[in-house]
Amino acid sequence: MMQTPVELKKPLAKRRMFPKVKISRALLNILLSIYGFVTLYPLIWLFLSAFKSNPEFYEFPFGLPKEWHWENFADAWNVARMGVSFKNSFIVTIAALILTLVFGAMAAFVLSRFRFRGRAAAMALFLLGMLIPIHSTLVPLFIMLKKIRLLDTYGALIFPYTAFELSLAIFVTIAYMSSIPKEMEEAALIDGTGYWGFFFRVMLPLSAPALSTVGILAFLRFWNDFAFALVFISKPALQTLPLSLSMFATGYMTDYRLTFAALSLAVIPTIVVYLVFQEQVMKGMVAGAVKG
Amino acid sequence: MTAKARIRGVIIVGLLPALLVFTFFVIVPILWSAWYGFYDWKGIGAMKFIGFGNYLEIIKDPVFATSLRNNLIVVAASVFGQVPIALALSLVLRQSTLFQRIIRSVVFLPMVLSSVVIGIIWGYIYHPQIGILNSLLEWIGLGSWKQAWLSNPDISMYMLAIPIIWNFIGPYMIMYIAALQNIPSEIEDASAIDGAKPMRMLFSIRLPMIWDTIKVTVVLCISGSLKTFDLIYVMTGGGPAHSTELLASYMYNNTFSIYRFGYGSAISTSIIIISTVLIAGSQLLMRRNTR
Amino acid sequence: MKKVWLLAFMFVLTISLVGCSAGSNQAANSDKTPATTSNGDSGKKSEEKVKLSLWHNFTGNDLRATMMRDQIDKFQQEHPNIELDIQAIPPDGYKTRLKTVAAANEMPDVFMMWPGAMTKEFHDGNLIQPINALLDSKPEWRDGYMPGSFDSFTIDGNIYSATLGLTPTSILFYNKAILDQYKLEVPKTWDDLLNAVKVIKEGGLTPIALGNKAAWLAQSSIISSLADRVTGTDWFLKAAAQDGAKFTDPEFVQALTYLQDLWKAGAFQEGFNSIDNTQMEVMFAQGQAAMMIDGGWALSNLAANATPEQLEDMGATVLPSIPGGKGNPNSLAGALGSAFGLSSKVEGNRLQAAYDLIYALSGPEVQKMTLDSSNLVSYKAELDESKVSPIFSEVYKLVNSVERTPVYDGVMTSAGSDAVNNGLQELLMGGDPQKIAQKIQDAQATSLQ
Repeated sequence: MMQTPVELKKPLAKRRMFPKVKISRALLNILLSIYGFVTLYPLIWLFLSAFKSNPEFYEFPFGLPKEWHWENFADAWNVARMGVSFKNSFIVTIAALILTLVFGAMAAFVLSRFRFRGRAAAMALFLLGMLIPIHSTLVPLFIMLKKIRLLDTYGALIFPYTAFELSLAIFVTIAYMSSIPKEMEEAALIDGTGYWGFFFRVMLPLSAPALSTVGILAFLRFWNDFAFALVFISKPALQTLPLSLSMFATGYMTDYRLTFAALSLAVIPTIVVYLVFQEQVMKGMVAGAVKG
Repeated sequence: MTAKARIRGVIIVGLLPALLVFTFFVIVPILWSAWYGFYDWKGIGAMKFIGFGNYLEIIKDPVFATSLRNNLIVVAASVFGQVPIALALSLVLRQSTLFQRIIRSVVFLPMVLSSVVIGIIWGYIYHPQIGILNSLLEWIGLGSWKQAWLSNPDISMYMLAIPIIWNFIGPYMIMYIAALQNIPSEIEDASAIDGAKPMRMLFSIRLPMIWDTIKVTVVLCISGSLKTFDLIYVMTGGGPAHSTELLASYMYNNTFSIYRFGYGSAISTSIIIISTVLIAGSQLLMRRNTR
Repeated sequence: MKKVWLLAFMFVLTISLVGCSAGSNQAANSDKTPATTSNGDSGKKSEEKVKLSLWHNFTGNDLRATMMRDQIDKFQQEHPNIELDIQAIPPDGYKTRLKTVAAANEMPDVFMMWPGAMTKEFHDGNLIQPINALLDSKPEWRDGYMPGSFDSFTIDGNIYSATLGLTPTSILFYNKAILDQYKLEVPKTWDDLLNAVKVIKEGGLTPIALGNKAAWLAQSSIISSLADRVTGTDWFLKAAAQDGAKFTDPEFVQALTYLQDLWKAGAFQEGFNSIDNTQMEVMFAQGQAAMMIDGGWALSNLAANATPEQLEDMGATVLPSIPGGKGNPNSLAGALGSAFGLSSKVEGNRLQAAYDLIYALSGPEVQKMTLDSSNLVSYKAELDESKVSPIFSEVYKLVNSVERTPVYDGVMTSAGSDAVNNGLQELLMGGDPQKIAQKIQDAQATSLQ
């Protein structure tokens, strides 16, 4: 989505400057590997548990499945109507993601590059959005969405998602944009590209790492949101994934076999998205930026 | 068009879409919820205006006090746990070797897993009978240290802080890496040639260069910690006997379980006020530090 | 480059606009499909379709949930003139969802609701209407219910719902093999129980498995029956109404002390406040504990999570009697299950349709099928023993042979029950019974005002 046409330059040169570092580096890598394994384990555990039967899950929560119950996935998919909810989650998440990134980047650009009256007030306002616990907005939002006839449409999720993620998007992007040298702006303006030309051609590509970070977090939040999805959508045809994932808990018991199978299926897109965006974060620093 | 008018146009066009969506879908509900906080309301039927009655009750409510105390533990654990660990990881994992890429992805992984999974796994780590932690202690000869980690109120909150720290390190690490990438390599190279030691380079160049990002992450840490809900809800439900109750879970319980909607809304407004104070304080401190 | 971004921006707007309208179109379409297909040529009359919304929480893959969904499908086929807008909501979020729409006064027409506190709040908010007329029109159905089946759905003589199930909450399950191994009888008195606890504990096994993480378990399963043994039912009903009795009365404090004594005797395993009821049931099923005190829900959980051999070893009885207690020792705390409520806004021909729907989903036929799916009902239905496990039959017989006493959270206000739940967790960490009783009293008294 975000093109970075300029050649990248990796600042790898530093490594050879500290030869002593080699041994401690090896030690460090061992530590990192241990930490990595411990952190990777929950995902492995999730996938393994998804293949077990319920009694087996309780008897041997940590072992390998005795029998690999592949049918768990098909059962979960069918009972929870995951086909429909996958589609809905994709639509809602991607639409809200794009809105968040575009609106957030524009606002961050203005707030980071210009000094004007009302700037502090705008920042304070956006800060508020990060402070409210989401559950206390359920009733007011429900009534509002009902009044503007947005309830029970994709919009009932897309707009609140976007709005609640904007705060984080704006703050993270501002922090990043304000570290981009001011001279580049002047250069661009002399070139006659104008402010928006500067924004699209220079600022956006340069901010790719920050926007990718925001993108990852926003995607995860939208993809996993339960509270809004529960309350603002009632048509079964519009339900999103988190609702499907919680269908197997009765309050007295959770059917872990199906829950884990469904969770395993739902987690795959998030991993893919993370890996894709992460590449953007790392490509990050574009050589052109420093030339300015 | 004058330059000034042009700039004003840019400001308006840039801010308006975000401001509109945000005001309508975030600010209005916040004010609305704050308004409920002045009523004695069950969430159903008639509402009775009681002014600051709910807030007076909050001040005297021992469970609110416990929740606040617990929440401050979470805030401290996040700010002094997540930020330094994430920063350290970002410094050692910011290159693109295969090994670093793998570890980096793995550090982030807890974020992609739902809190249900995280909660269940940590539940088994801390499990009083078949838990990994207790087995490990037994194995290394510290059997006497074995505990019911989550039901002993003296330690349960600290034990819960560990998965919370672990869970959210990833995004901060990514933000720091993004910011570190943004330091022009000329500056780093130049100082390296000057013979700057790694530590000195860290404190005199890298940290100041990404200070803005660090400040933002501290804000995120504080606001995120005060909203912490899911993981606690899955792991202890705030118990036993409110000993791991947090502000957000206490708010949820009042609002949706025991028909005290007005009181729950007042708690939620208090969360905003407390967050604001803590964030303002942290930013003030961090401003002084830079000088 | 500029164009690319402009295009991207347009794309966003289109997506969100199309998304919204597609959303509503789609919803409208899926509503219409059954309608247009089912009455092709039945003339103009059929155009006056009756629309009803139905909310339920039968989303899982268990026998009962699938049975209920089948019944709803069947109702739709048999009533082409009624257009149902069905919403299956995950049980975890059901109450949150319901309370949100209640706060916004946007109740669905027919919906699952709970007896006791919820029924009372919805009644006070004027959100529901009685179904007496429906019950009176089907006397054979009404009279098929067991005595007391409408109690906690009744306010001022009006009945607001007809229950779908019965949940006995405090059954003492025991492992026959383990009791035999320690040469113990099934405990009949409190002393028997304390003795059994002592013997089993000395043998190195957990006497009673407990999983009180969700906090309601000790309240529903233990104190509801234990306190009833000590105080008698009348006292509890008075205290709950704050009419002539208080939770600070010595008999209730004594009941709390009994429970605390049991804990002090080492009856429960370490860390019971951090494991949930399913883990407790598994612990019991796997023979790691000799007993557990649990409700009717355990039956379907055990059926799903335990092996047939493990089920063979299980027996069930009531809690032991208390010396000098005022309550009937041959009793079992039990609550009415959830049921379909009817919004106060339903009237005219929609009312008749709603009655038909409620009857179709709670009538004699469904009661029988519920029982056959290993869920107890508060209805006179004959159990087909071939369809259920032996332990289910045993509990079924037990429930039908003893008196039913109220469950605390079925009678008290939500805030009061919440105080009991947390108070019991505190009690089982060594809290002072007197102070805990005071907190419970305060919460119940305040919330009744």
